[in-house]
Amino acid sequence: MPEPVTTDTATSAPDDVVLEVRDLAKSYPVRQGVVLKRTTGHVQAVDGVSLALRRGRTLGLVGESGSGKSTLARVLVGIEKPTRGQVLVDGEDVSTMSRGARRELRRNVQMVFQDPYTSLNPRMSVGDIVAEPFRIHRDAVPRGGRRRAVAELLELVGLDPDHVHRYPHQFSGGQRQRIGIARALAVKPRVLVCDEPVSALDVSVQGQVINLLEDLQDELGLSYLFIAHDLAVVQHIADEVAVMYLGRVVEEGDGPAVYGDAHHPYTRALLSAVPVPDPTARPAEGELLLEGDPPSPADPPSGCRFHTRCWLARRLAEEHGVAGDGPEAVPERCRTEDPVLVPLGRRGDGRDGGGDDEGAHVAACHFAREAATLGAHPGPTAQASPGPGTPPGPDPDPDADPDPDADPDPDADPDPDLEPVPDRPVLESRER
Amino acid sequence: MEIDISGAAEPGAVGDEVAQGDRPARTAGATLLEVEDLAVEFRSDDGALRAVDGLSYRVEAGRTLALVGESGCGKSVSSLAVMGLLPPTARVVRGTARYRGTDLLGLSPTKHRAHAGTHVAMVFQDALAALNPVHTVGYQLTEALRVRSGTSRREGRRRAIELLDLVKVPNAAQRVDEYPHQFSGGMRQRVMIASALALDPDVLIADEPTTALDVTVQAQVLRLLAEIQAERQMGLVLITHDLGVVAGVADEVTVMYAGRAVEHAPVHDLYARPAHPYTRALLRSVPRLDAVGDDRAVGGRLPVVPGRPPAPGRVPPGCPFHPRCDMARDVCATDVPPLDDVAPGRSSACFFAAELLGGVRA
Repeated sequence: MPEPVTTDTATSAPDDVVLEVRDLAKSYPVRQGVVLKRTTGHVQAVDGVSLALRRGRTLGLVGESGSGKSTLARVLVGIEKPTRGQVLVDGEDVSTMSRGARRELRRNVQMVFQDPYTSLNPRMSVGDIVAEPFRIHRDAVPRGGRRRAVAELLELVGLDPDHVHRYPHQFSGGQRQRIGIARALAVKPRVLVCDEPVSALDVSVQGQVINLLEDLQDELGLSYLFIAHDLAVVQHIADEVAVMYLGRVVEEGDGPAVYGDAHHPYTRALLSAVPVPDPTARPAEGELLLEGDPPSPADPPSGCRFHTRCWLARRLAEEHGVAGDGPEAVPERCRTEDPVLVPLGRRGDGRDGGGDDEGAHVAACHFAREAATLGAHPGPTAQASPGPGTPPGPDPDPDADPDPDADPDPDADPDPDLEPVPDRPVLESRER
Repeated sequence: MEIDISGAAEPGAVGDEVAQGDRPARTAGATLLEVEDLAVEFRSDDGALRAVDGLSYRVEAGRTLALVGESGCGKSVSSLAVMGLLPPTARVVRGTARYRGTDLLGLSPTKHRAHAGTHVAMVFQDALAALNPVHTVGYQLTEALRVRSGTSRREGRRRAIELLDLVKVPNAAQRVDEYPHQFSGGMRQRVMIASALALDPDVLIADEPTTALDVTVQAQVLRLLAEIQAERQMGLVLITHDLGVVAGVADEVTVMYAGRAVEHAPVHDLYARPAHPYTRALLRSVPRLDAVGDDRAVGGRLPVVPGRPPAPGRVPPGCPFHPRCDMARDVCATDVPPLDDVAPGRSSACFFAAELLGGVRA
């Protein structure tokens, strides 16, 4: 983990992927009525997400609440069944397997929960909590060796093995989270899905748990899917980062690419909102790129789901003379056409991961290149990189870019899509 | 947490004190609230637990004071004491809280709540728990007005819409008749702020107002608070554990540990050169987005403080931080370091503050 980027993955082969989801979707029915419950709609919590997690690596997942991060985690560990799409462990589709084989594969993917106060049964001793997974996965550790296994696990996560008979309330938040980690590791998984594992902890304790997770990864070769709303924590721990908005991945790439050279206007807005512990870097007036709350996933906006809050779309529309239509005016394309994830040019930082697709930097925005160059506020991570400001001329890959309309120069070629649009019912504020 | 912030118990007692206009104007920098040597204890099976021990701070008009610390450091309890909202198991054992010269802690509990509730308002972290689910937002917004100033319902509704407009809730005229569950987290927190502003308080105490919110919404709410504060020249006390938030909005910072203030400084000085090892440790242990090329940003181990903050009643002798401190010497285990001035406008409760300030920042 201390190696930030791809030094050991130049030879990354497909079999390096331990956990993969393809076009995963999970929707929940919305029912109304008391007696005759009719389904009146669906909440698309996750809608067409494809991600791959490689051996020994950490994939960070960020986004606002309601973006589908936690639902995705629950599908991955099997708490929820996907509505569509596949979950593959070691390249094998979990849904087509026999129950026994599925259980064995599921053993490899364990979860660490957010709240160490509610995720441990207060009536069970620590020893019983950590040994509980053995009751489901009976062959993980031979029966006679379980007591010793529990002691080893407690020691592994930095707890006193003599405390097996204590109860959760006798431990602090940080220690409880260690118990949760020990329980997840009991059946020797290869993947840990960590859903906000440190956000309930005190600042000085957060770092201890983050360091523990990193040590365990080095020691045991674990892969992490690390979900957090704290972008600084994710930047610290993740090798790759996926940004979710309303059930979709809108940008993905290795950490430095996403943090230092964000292309999606949503990513840039998120980064600009993170408070930086430095009073000299206080944001200036008018620097907020994102207003309002995310729209409801039960009724996502048409076209690009972000267009109702997108600063870039509004700015582009303004520059093309539709400013008179009010601040919600956006290019028609954003309202009508659903953008797909498109590979972006690699950053010329000399540390690229070779030609493998896994680490490629992708973003789902019709105007991704403008977002990278136009953003007056490159976010707090602005680096002296050749990213923003340089002409994007050489980097677009002609084969990889199926989006010729994303012209980087708005003046040279007035986009025909940028006409003022009279009807704006879609553009109403959906903020509740 | 169900807390009656309206002090409605005895409405008549304070009715005339609330009349607008007979209050001195707020001039920037004027001292509004001064807490001195405050100590609060909780009753428990193990005897009295000291949750706050000798805390002093001053709130000035138009300025923001941040009370920073981890859970159990007494930052919230101290504010509840000032507001007269301590739970029955807790009591103030020492100290004063002067609001424009009147010691709130010397008043009877009812007068205390009424006085504090009128001039000092509080916003809590969990807006959903603080709002009553069976009343409309507009009704709750103006509860204080109706109780304190005898405002009519119709007038109250008009004021509620004004208040929602003030905190930038869109479509205020419609939303005033909606219920809390129909509001998003960020909007609920705006409603909480609006209700705190209903009586035009001099001082607003915001206890982790953005902790439950997404960063994007947090930024909006913090900006709103700053705007309203600047406009009204209120004194703002921001209680938080988030050093990023503090850096963004505070003028002065008081760092608390185990019930005591361990450092006080203007915000720029504090971040540039902390004068207490605990402050330094806190600043170091946060991963930060702007730490480009720094180990903390990517990869490397976070420099963490071992152990955890002591629970009230288990505070070690001597300096409460000494078991976790990398600078601790023998004297730290036996003597309690007083909060002494170490530079103009700065104080630190560390025997070796001069060393910290003199040394090059690590």
